Amino acid sequence: MRGRELVRKDVAELFAGRAFWLLLLFVGLLTGQSFISAVDAYAEASGIGGGAAALAQGLSPLDGILVPTAGAYYLAIMLLFPFVAIRLIASEKSSGAWKLMLQWPLRMGDHLVSKVLALLIAWLIALIPFAIAIALWLAYGGHLYAPETINLLAGYTLYFVLTASVAMAAAALMPGAANAAVAILGLTIGTWALDFLATGRGGLVQRLASFTPAAALRVFERGLMRKDLVLALLALSVLALFIAGIALGLGAPLRKRITHSAVAIVVAAIALTLAAHVNISSDLSENRRNSFAPADEQMLANIDRPLTITVFLAAEDPRMNDYENNVLTKLRRTIRDLRVRYPFGGSSALFENDARYGEIHYALGGRTAVERSATEEIVIETIEKLWSGGRPRPPKQDAPDDGTFSSRRPGAAAAPQYPGYPLAKRARGAAWIFYALWPLAVITAWRLRSRRTG
Amino acid sequence: MSVVLRVSRLSARRGRRDVLRDVAFSVLDREILGVIGPNGAGKTTLFECVAGVLPRTSGTIDGEPLFYVPDAIRPWPDQTVRWTLELNARMFGARADASLLDALDLTQLLDQTTASLSKGEAKRLNIALGLSVPRPILFLDEPFDGLDFRQTRHAIDVLKGVVRGSAAPSEGALEAHTTRRTLVLSIHQLSDAARVCDRFLLLDHGRIVGEGTLDELGGNLEEAFLART
Repeated sequence: MRGRELVRKDVAELFAGRAFWLLLLFVGLLTGQSFISAVDAYAEASGIGGGAAALAQGLSPLDGILVPTAGAYYLAIMLLFPFVAIRLIASEKSSGAWKLMLQWPLRMGDHLVSKVLALLIAWLIALIPFAIAIALWLAYGGHLYAPETINLLAGYTLYFVLTASVAMAAAALMPGAANAAVAILGLTIGTWALDFLATGRGGLVQRLASFTPAAALRVFERGLMRKDLVLALLALSVLALFIAGIALGLGAPLRKRITHSAVAIVVAAIALTLAAHVNISSDLSENRRNSFAPADEQMLANIDRPLTITVFLAAEDPRMNDYENNVLTKLRRTIRDLRVRYPFGGSSALFENDARYGEIHYALGGRTAVERSATEEIVIETIEKLWSGGRPRPPKQDAPDDGTFSSRRPGAAAAPQYPGYPLAKRARGAAWIFYALWPLAVITAWRLRSRRTG
Repeated sequence: MSVVLRVSRLSARRGRRDVLRDVAFSVLDREILGVIGPNGAGKTTLFECVAGVLPRTSGTIDGEPLFYVPDAIRPWPDQTVRWTLELNARMFGARADASLLDALDLTQLLDQTTASLSKGEAKRLNIALGLSVPRPILFLDEPFDGLDFRQTRHAIDVLKGVVRGSAAPSEGALEAHTTRRTLVLSIHQLSDAARVCDRFLLLDHGRIVGEGTLDELGGNLEEAFLART
């Protein structure tokens, strides 16, 4: 009963601030712009207006429509939502309401859960433009694959929960909304820097960087659901909420609050370390871009010894990027004990005179091989030779037709090929909806709400 | 009268500064206790430590449940007065007393946002927020600060009515859950304090320097205070 009252109060507070209505307005405009550009680009790639069509297999609605459209939410979560979350706490602190609330017969957890629920309601409302974009896409005759669409939304929702929790912690810790906003922006820039610096460097830094919001979102945008990432994002969100709760418990002595915060950080660090060892993931993309062919996966899964790969490429080298995204991502999902080393991870490669530059060394069960190719086919063959000791692979059996697609090398398996979904249609009517109707609806709702409160 | 709240050896620090030092006092059932002291004496800190919204370094607080209304707050500035009052009361399973709102001249302000209230109106709202909570003891920090002399006299009548269980003059009877309270008020205007309080606690530099009724303190609060500090 009181819990429901609390959520209603927080939702009312959310609607009372102009920040939320401005956010809705901008999210609609941003989503519209992203969606219209994406549909037009997709139509051109599909051969609209008599132009040459791209290979149909390369036309995936996930890459072509969903990810660019959802990109609007990346900006919104990073730059707009924190202010809404900060306001929810900072306003009650500065107005004195929080001192009344601390005396209500409720626990701190009730207050925090209520605020998270209110923010999730805000998130669902903010997703309306995305839902409109999806509805328009389907109305144009576009194709969507539900698992990858839901996975993408789940990724963005986890990112939203983390951002909201961290913003709440900042608002709880900092005196004033402006200080909290500066702290959040600083943290965002910090994660960007970490993400940028860690690429292709390996080790703990790269592992840490894989949990930054930008890196985490890239995984979901590839149609991959990594359990370690989900656990890590949830652990960080819970930690931020816990710290917010400690900071908001004004009646507790400072020493006790510091001790509790330190314990929470240690527990979260342990949880993150454990999460990092969870190597379970699901490839939810329709074109199975994160998986090898079933027969190859079976061969790789049988490898019960450590496979060491040493990549003599610099972080900035495009081949490094290709190898990381197209090969290592899949190998990490498949091989039980994979160790990757990046000797040139910290160099720019501009002045690299090492003769080994460009080589990729493989070591498995006492055998070694050196390759320069970063293509999936060559890598699989190299590993296969190392594992089998050069013996030819037994004749491949046709993989059962489980309805999934494969983009793998010829002869690896007989899974059906991803057909691709070209659609040569313009985004008709979308501009009216996103640039006229949506702002009108938001302004009308805001005016109605303002009138109710006099 | 029985003791409803007992505070023993309460101390508090802000940074390196001792703000309260071994403060001890008792609150009697259905009295109006005035905590008197100059700015910086530690009145607000004392109230917030007793209410549990500020940490204390030592001391114990035993007694019946209390509710504390801070000074100069304007809670939920974008919401209406009605919304604010109802929310705070509902959290304790109560509801705002219409007669009380009449008595505090809040009825005509119910649909205004709390941000739009004048200082005096906001102060009356804060008194109503406290009185809407069914807790036997109510701590009000500077309840008359910002009220003009007419409003102050009116608010004093209302508070006395709340403690005695009688109606405020010219208004309807207050509901049972609003009345029969014990009040602890922090007041820096000595004339207001003398008019409303039954007993006084004189606070200076975080220490209690005197305690008693007006008669026990010599009949003049100002003289009593100056003599002790």
